[in-house]
Amino acid sequence: MTEFLQQTVSGLTTGLVYAALALAIALIFQGTGTLNFAQGEFATLAAFVAFALSTAGLSWWLVVPVLVVVAFVFGAGVERLLVRPVENSGPLALLTVTAALLLGTNAVTALIWGTDVRSMPSPFGDSVFHVGALTFTAQALGGGALVLVTMLVCGAVFRFTPLGLRLRAVADNPDSARLLGISTGLMLAVGWGIAAAVGAIAGLVAAPTLGLSPELMTNALLLALAATTLGGFSSRLGAVVGGLLVGVLSNLASRYVPGIGGDLQLVVPFAIIFLVLLVRPQGLFGRASTVRA
Amino acid sequence: MPAAAAPPASSAESPPALGARGVGLSFAGLRALDGLQFEVPAGGTSAVIGPNGAGKTTLFNCISGLYRHEGELLLHGRPLGRLRPHQRARLGVARTFQTPALLDGESALQNVALGAVAHSRVGVLDSMLMTPRRRREEQATLEQAFELLRRAGIDQLADRPVAGLPHGDRRRVEVSRALMSAPTLLMLDEPAAGLGAEEARDLLREVEEVAGPGTTVLLVEHDVALVMSVARRVVVLDSGRLLAVGTPDEVRADPRVVEAYLGAEDVDEPAPERLHAVSEEAS
Repeated sequence: MTEFLQQTVSGLTTGLVYAALALAIALIFQGTGTLNFAQGEFATLAAFVAFALSTAGLSWWLVVPVLVVVAFVFGAGVERLLVRPVENSGPLALLTVTAALLLGTNAVTALIWGTDVRSMPSPFGDSVFHVGALTFTAQALGGGALVLVTMLVCGAVFRFTPLGLRLRAVADNPDSARLLGISTGLMLAVGWGIAAAVGAIAGLVAAPTLGLSPELMTNALLLALAATTLGGFSSRLGAVVGGLLVGVLSNLASRYVPGIGGDLQLVVPFAIIFLVLLVRPQGLFGRASTVRA
Repeated sequence: MPAAAAPPASSAESPPALGARGVGLSFAGLRALDGLQFEVPAGGTSAVIGPNGAGKTTLFNCISGLYRHEGELLLHGRPLGRLRPHQRARLGVARTFQTPALLDGESALQNVALGAVAHSRVGVLDSMLMTPRRRREEQATLEQAFELLRRAGIDQLADRPVAGLPHGDRRRVEVSRALMSAPTLLMLDEPAAGLGAEEARDLLREVEEVAGPGTTVLLVEHDVALVMSVARRVVVLDSGRLLAVGTPDEVRADPRVVEAYLGAEDVDEPAPERLHAVSEEAS
């Protein structure tokens, strides 16, 4: 039983990273109706920036807020400069741009920092805590808490602020929102900025555990996409729950299902998603939509 | 001509609420609007009528800024040029749709509160930092939104998601949202659709009263009786062209309108009498 709980906790810790990335993907999908394939690479780039700031002597207490601001500006800038010019060219054009951003960001990261895997120190130290029979690292606790707080703040901004109401209005019905005086262009840029900031926190938390390299979030992106599919692209909460489920289930399956472990662990969430989508194509929390033929 | 139909003395000096100068638009070779030239006086209610496909909603979309068009539209004498929809909304242009375009995931109160965005002084930074100014404005907005719902008789629905509301209530929420923006030009696209005759007239009376003298209401409406009973200026379109413009009496007497709108051949009694009868019935 203790081991089961330990595996669950461990799964939740990695699941929080998937959840944050999935939330970022869902935010952009709701705003622009497209998948940002580069979301993982943005997070990786953010982790490298955090590493550079930290090695330059900046305290982690400052690295986090600076990283959030830089990521926000970067995300909003990408939307303004690279996405907006093709926003009326159809979903395939947007997908192509985000795929190009994935490749481009990966190449730039590799060009600047190289392709070797680096060891990144944990912003939370190397302490280990014991609660009963369970063991927690400071990195897992601190990282988990940071991701959780980030997602809660993001949720609060969307749910309880006038800005959130405008963002929701643009996601729900862009034409109607424009006619109410809402600048959809500004809101889309803000949405991309928030998504990049949330993703940056995911990258920062993942790097000390997974090792810092341009491939840091490659698997995480796939699992985050799976999590968003599982939870429903139209639901921010669904994306978060999907991320946690993917983290826990893949961890438990690799421990308890014979023959699954290592790379094969990746198959588990996709198998579960396949089964869920057979029953609920819109995902666990998503809203079904119809398209007139 | 009834005194009520005459524009108030003050509006003789003020520019028209809406002016169209050679407004035209084509869709893939199809001429949807063709050289429209008319004015809508400031204040009160005016209407755009015409058969299906006449270009009424297309004209609304041009005024809203959803479609780029030829010619010029003027709002209270100011050319709208290439202003985008949200910029026009901030100048006082508000509208409703044939099928209410509400945010289905939100409550009736939040939908109405969104109408205040056009004149909000809370910026993105205020909103993110939750400044006292934001809190004050938000509170005032919610109170005003609730008051509009109360006047529309649906304050008991304030916290209900609009997705499950009946059509009539959704329309009232949408009209309240448009009023929330304190528009100078309020365009209502078929507000009577799905409502009874009396209910539709009540809605329009309520809209005029709540909007006040500074707002010009412009209707697109199929219900001729309703239009003739409330409008001071009627713009008649047919196949994208301007057929007539004038007071209800002038339009009613125009043989081109009678022929295009009711069809002159296949009726037993002369069409002008039918139009007149409709108007009598309405009043």
